[in-house]
Amino acid sequence: MRDAITLQTRAGHWLVALLVLGGLVFAVVGFATGDTFYLRLATEALIFGGLALSVDILLGYTGLLSLGQALYFGLGAYVSALALIAWQSFWAAIGASLAAALVCGLAGGLIANRVRGVYFALITFGMAQVLAKAVYNTRALGASDGLIGVPVLDINLGLFSVSSASPVGFFLFVLAVTVLFYVLAAYLLDTPFGRLLIALKANENRVLFIGYRTSTLRLGSYLVAAVIATLSGALYPMLRGFASPELLFFSTSGNAVITVILGGVGTLVGALYGSVLLTIVKSVVGSWTEHHLIVIGLIFMAVVVLLPKGLMGLVQPALVSVLGRGSRR
Amino acid sequence: MLDYLQFVLTPQIVTGLALGVAVILVALGLTIIFGLLDVINMSHGEFYALGAFIALALGQVGLPFWALLFAVPILMLPIGYLVERGLIQRVFHSKDRHITTLLLTFGFALVLEDALRLVFGPNPYKPETPIRGAVEVLGTYLPLYRLFMVAIGGLVIVGTALIVYRTRLGAMVRAAAFDRNMAASLGVPVERVYAGAFAFGVALAGLAGVLLAPIYSVFPTMGRDFILLAFTVIIVGGMGSIGGAVIAGLFLTQVQAISSLYISPVWADPIVFGIMVIMLVVRPQGLRGGLGHA
Amino acid sequence: MTAVRPVLEVADLSISFGGLKAVDQVSFAVERNRVTTVIGPNGAGKSTLFNLISGALAPHRGHVLLEGRDVTGAPPYRMQAAGLARSFQITSLFFELSVAENLRLAAQVLEPRVKLGLPVGSSAKARTRVQELLSQFKLDEKAGQIVGELSHGDQRRLEIAVALASKPKILLLDEPTQGMSHADTADTAALVRSLSNDVTILLIEHDIGLVMDLSDTIVVMHQGRKIAEGAPHAVRADQAVQTAYFGHA
Repeated sequence: MRDAITLQTRAGHWLVALLVLGGLVFAVVGFATGDTFYLRLATEALIFGGLALSVDILLGYTGLLSLGQALYFGLGAYVSALALIAWQSFWAAIGASLAAALVCGLAGGLIANRVRGVYFALITFGMAQVLAKAVYNTRALGASDGLIGVPVLDINLGLFSVSSASPVGFFLFVLAVTVLFYVLAAYLLDTPFGRLLIALKANENRVLFIGYRTSTLRLGSYLVAAVIATLSGALYPMLRGFASPELLFFSTSGNAVITVILGGVGTLVGALYGSVLLTIVKSVVGSWTEHHLIVIGLIFMAVVVLLPKGLMGLVQPALVSVLGRGSRR
Repeated sequence: MLDYLQFVLTPQIVTGLALGVAVILVALGLTIIFGLLDVINMSHGEFYALGAFIALALGQVGLPFWALLFAVPILMLPIGYLVERGLIQRVFHSKDRHITTLLLTFGFALVLEDALRLVFGPNPYKPETPIRGAVEVLGTYLPLYRLFMVAIGGLVIVGTALIVYRTRLGAMVRAAAFDRNMAASLGVPVERVYAGAFAFGVALAGLAGVLLAPIYSVFPTMGRDFILLAFTVIIVGGMGSIGGAVIAGLFLTQVQAISSLYISPVWADPIVFGIMVIMLVVRPQGLRGGLGHA
Repeated sequence: MTAVRPVLEVADLSISFGGLKAVDQVSFAVERNRVTTVIGPNGAGKSTLFNLISGALAPHRGHVLLEGRDVTGAPPYRMQAAGLARSFQITSLFFELSVAENLRLAAQVLEPRVKLGLPVGSSAKARTRVQELLSQFKLDEKAGQIVGELSHGDQRRLEIAVALASKPKILLLDEPTQGMSHADTADTAALVRSLSNDVTILLIEHDIGLVMDLSDTIVVMHQGRKIAEGAPHAVRADQAVQTAYFGHA
């Protein structure tokens, strides 16, 4: 049975494959030219793409706008930085971040899911702000300077290991991890659980009457998003060598929302393309004026008004119809 | 003990009160816009900043302070009106109005903030305090300008409440907030009332900008932190409630002032946000009902 | 000696909204595989009664028993699990999704919970149920269509099908013919009749002709109270019903 949702998911897979291909070409070119700067920038774009992915799970599938997803991104960055400083182990950092994500995601989810709609947006905003201010004022966490001095890391992957200091190596590693996040999210959203989230967005009341506890579904969605955001954040100090309070600020959450809207809300892959696009726009516009926010703001507003499905709204329908024709034959 | 009251606590309370009045002005605009249009105006903080910058610019060409108190809000009215008609109305009837309008105003905030930076540069300006000196009340010295702020702000707040609850115009606004279609069928020009209310809310934010400029200095991102407090106020007070915004505004700024004194200024914000989060969990509708439900 | 227990029993059910007694001490029983219909003028409290029975509202007083089990005040998803499903007077579907997907979502409860986390394709029981419903409700041709684009009649039919998807023991239908043409109404009546072989039905309906033909038992409500109950002909003859509902006929 191939329905519209499955076809759309498939179109997304093709687009991700294309992104990976582009990433590989980019890595080869970067390696050949000995570039560091752009590889690092692209790695960062992918890491923030993971954060945007988590925003899309909430906004595009469950219909919940989080204005505080930076809470989990920052959480991951700080926990990972602390773990890396203490143990210099990738797996310890990831394990600690995952544990923190589950605990904080559950707590945050229980609080935030008591409300709906704009209140959800504002409570997530408020929670992130509380944590941001608390971290900003905590000497033990480096206060306004953040945690610095995260050591360079050898990520042991069993068969081989990747150094976080290698621009190409770490870029490819982050590309793989981001694709893993995508696969995880795409898998979950194409299960009956994921379909129920989509149903929740369409008509929450009826979900309750066809036999599902909607608060549990929303909590599940929130938790998945929290885990992906936290783990994305956990990669950040490996790339940059520090975790700063800015990662918890509203600008980080806001950027993730902009990314999702630009890329195409409710498409997953849009979050990744959106992040790449936003990074390109920022560095291109930033190269001739420091006022790139005006440009980004205007683009963002235009997309909200004119292109509610973002960049993917332009690309995906065509791909879906091609795939649809293919499957009917 | 008495000394402490005289020199520490009372001035702190008055400072909190002056800030409280300014926050309430900003929050009133937010809450009226939400109560009536069902729109979270994410650019409200930038309108507050815009008001401060317009005051700064007009002050430099020589307009006296008392004239700014009138000129800035009046200049803000058409700006707000145009933004509502030109932007918000464009997505007003989309399926997901709450989220779409929130996103659109968020985008506008980015543009406005960066535009201010483009025109005025990133560095803070510190306008002169228009009213210097202090008065002695029962042995406590209180800065005149803060008292003036409380008086002017209080007057505007009371005036706003009177307009909303005691005039024919206010009745139309409340009718439109209660039931848009019913109000329209009764001949209320709903679209113009919406735009007008947005303009009015934005003008209040501008006025707060004028009043606070001499205290906080003027810089492009000045709206960011301030708007957080205003959001907190309208959530705790009850979104769309004027009375709630006043009560919550006074309460939260006092909490801020007192906790700065007893705990530490750096923890004042987390404490206030913590109150908001607790309020959202315990009583999501806030202290008081919305605009349509007097 | 062992009389068959009614599927649904409602005892002394009451709720008031700010002093208004919307449902006031209503008691009745719904027998297995029968069609029981609640009628009454507008504002009689029929929909509120449904909301109380289906868990949308918790009653201030009284009890709801499903096969003898007290489920009073349980949330809708619990009611659903206990075998009670309902449709809505104002069509409440997933309008952006396809017909088949609407049915699949509702049929998913037939599967064990663990399947929620496995690919959609592995839920075979749900898939079979969707096919059954599509042909039973003559929606085969429209399986892939987006619900929002269906005709009103089809949407109303799907509204019932979604409620039926979980194979409930009792089905509450809130004005299934609401806004339908004559032909569609007749079709729906026949459909409800055929459904009653497998499932107990509690109905709210405005079309009196339909009610008389379709129902085994009629419960008449007026101003929140039950004023009569019985077989169609008995209710039709009832004096209190004559004045309250049919006017002075």
